[in-house]
Amino acid sequence: MSEKGFKGLVKGLLKTNRVYGTIEKDGFPAFGELSRPEDLVLSTRPTHLSAKQFLFPQREVLLRYDMKKGSHEAVIESGKQVLIGLHPCDIKGLNLMDRVFAHGVPDPNYLARREQTIVIGGDCVPDDYCFCKSLGNSEVESGFDIFLHVLGKGFLVRTGSDIGAALLSEHAETREPSAREFQEFRERRAKRDSSFKASVDASPEELPEIYSKSDESGVWEKIGAICTGCGSCNNVCPTCYCFDVKDEVKANLVEGERVRTWDGCALEDFAKVAGGHNFRKTRAERLRHRFNRKFRYLSGTFDSLFCVGCGRCSRACLVKINIVDVTNEIVREYNNK
Amino acid sequence: MRLYGNTIINNAEEEFGHSHMESPYLPSLGIIERSIRVSEKERLFTINPSNDSLLKYRPGQFYMVGLPGYGEAPISITSGPGEKKIELCIRAVGNLTNAFHNLRKGDSIWLRGPFGRGFALEELEGRDIIFVAGGIGIVPMRSLLKAVLARRDKFGRLTLIYGSKSPEELLFVEEMDDWRGAGMDVQLTVDKPSLGWKGGTGVVTTLIPKVETADKNTIGVIIGPPVMYRFVILSLNAKGLGAEDIYVSLERRMKCGVGKCGHCQINSIYVCQCGPVFRMSELKGMPEAI
Repeated sequence: MSEKGFKGLVKGLLKTNRVYGTIEKDGFPAFGELSRPEDLVLSTRPTHLSAKQFLFPQREVLLRYDMKKGSHEAVIESGKQVLIGLHPCDIKGLNLMDRVFAHGVPDPNYLARREQTIVIGGDCVPDDYCFCKSLGNSEVESGFDIFLHVLGKGFLVRTGSDIGAALLSEHAETREPSAREFQEFRERRAKRDSSFKASVDASPEELPEIYSKSDESGVWEKIGAICTGCGSCNNVCPTCYCFDVKDEVKANLVEGERVRTWDGCALEDFAKVAGGHNFRKTRAERLRHRFNRKFRYLSGTFDSLFCVGCGRCSRACLVKINIVDVTNEIVREYNNK
Repeated sequence: MRLYGNTIINNAEEEFGHSHMESPYLPSLGIIERSIRVSEKERLFTINPSNDSLLKYRPGQFYMVGLPGYGEAPISITSGPGEKKIELCIRAVGNLTNAFHNLRKGDSIWLRGPFGRGFALEELEGRDIIFVAGGIGIVPMRSLLKAVLARRDKFGRLTLIYGSKSPEELLFVEEMDDWRGAGMDVQLTVDKPSLGWKGGTGVVTTLIPKVETADKNTIGVIIGPPVMYRFVILSLNAKGLGAEDIYVSLERRMKCGVGKCGHCQINSIYVCQCGPVFRMSELKGMPEAI
């Protein structure tokens, strides 16, 4: 697909969808709403915030009520949207979120939004924190409608769904890539693959078992001692889906909403009950919980790690707790046992 | 229909903006028929449910109970299964629970549930049972006691050991003669006895060694404040009860009741889905549980 073809695709999508994509904000890559294709910046370093915000927003309404009338109704808000420029790790994160919110009692708020979302993936440029490759997440086969690989001229395009194929044929001209273009794609891929600096020293299949032997590790006290309990790691994580639910009453004291907002297990009150007892009192316990949730606790239910290797938690951490360093220390302890 | 990873997402049939799926966050109404003060901090509510599916519960299950403007909290059921009215006994500890205490006859309350896994009575049949309740742990325990006493002949020796800080804080004392009459030994103990107190003094574990368990057919059920479990389990272990023989009901913070919000997680399990009732053997390898 040519550059011009891509612009036509985005313009076509803008007619009937809200379109969000990777843009540059204050010198950093970020997801932002697009009004024209020129604002897109493809082939970027990871964004600070993940794409989960578009499927599982930081604040969303679950119920709306009127206390005078005594009425209440469930609210499920969604609209047609397109997300452009998601990296393989971002898409892997969304795939996990899809499974979480469809598992057991389905969550209609998430699923309705997901159903109306078109995902267009894009190439990434790893930075010092990226370690998706070592978790097997640097390539993605499903969870997108279209995936764009940037070439010197134009894009090599993969379709991941019927909807993606239909969109392409509707809005853009594509042709089979030439052998030279394929070669260029392979060279660019090899260059990206060789530019990863961080990696975990165990396979993703081994990590749940390794983590299961880490409950008594000294590493939790060590990082607990410096953690500020700010919850940034939870906020930026593409697979952290814990939430709080609270009521917000309008100034007229009659109408109100029950809303859910992101919550985080690194925050002090997360496991505290009404009588005041906190089931995870210390930062060390809270971090141990968070790391285990990424590498062990959910693997039984979903047969997958819940860390995609995007490095966002390490990037955002105020005290430089690094998920790769912590994991590798646990791997070392395991190997030395 | 579109396939993403392993998840199939059905197309919403209605216009975009709304899905046809039912929201698990939508509460049903309950109308308060009676609210009586049962101690300084607790009130017992009798509630008429608007929806019969609310009544399909086992002892040990809970509802997410809410009020518009205040939010929701998990509250265990204290009425017995099969009863036509719901009873909830609620301690006033925060904004929401204080607001519950201001409700009177005719007021409505929001209910979602019942949630979680309660007690499977079939598993308890034929066994001698020691029920150990501490503080408001008696509230969910009462639902179980009612269920067991309603089919008294199916069970062996029954002993309730119930402790609280003071005699004034003991709940359901007026029902205990009935419980005794139905064939259960009821033993009470308090930390701070008042004048005329005839029960025991001290923590619940002081009463456990005296219970007859010689024929190895005894199971224990523990519901109480977090600090209590460890000690009661040790006492029951000393009486020969193993991890298979001890049931606990665990309290956790909860915001959804449907295994999503993450607050009630203990290691790899969600209490709202897998619990709150557990056999101790099911909590093996979960250091966060007790």
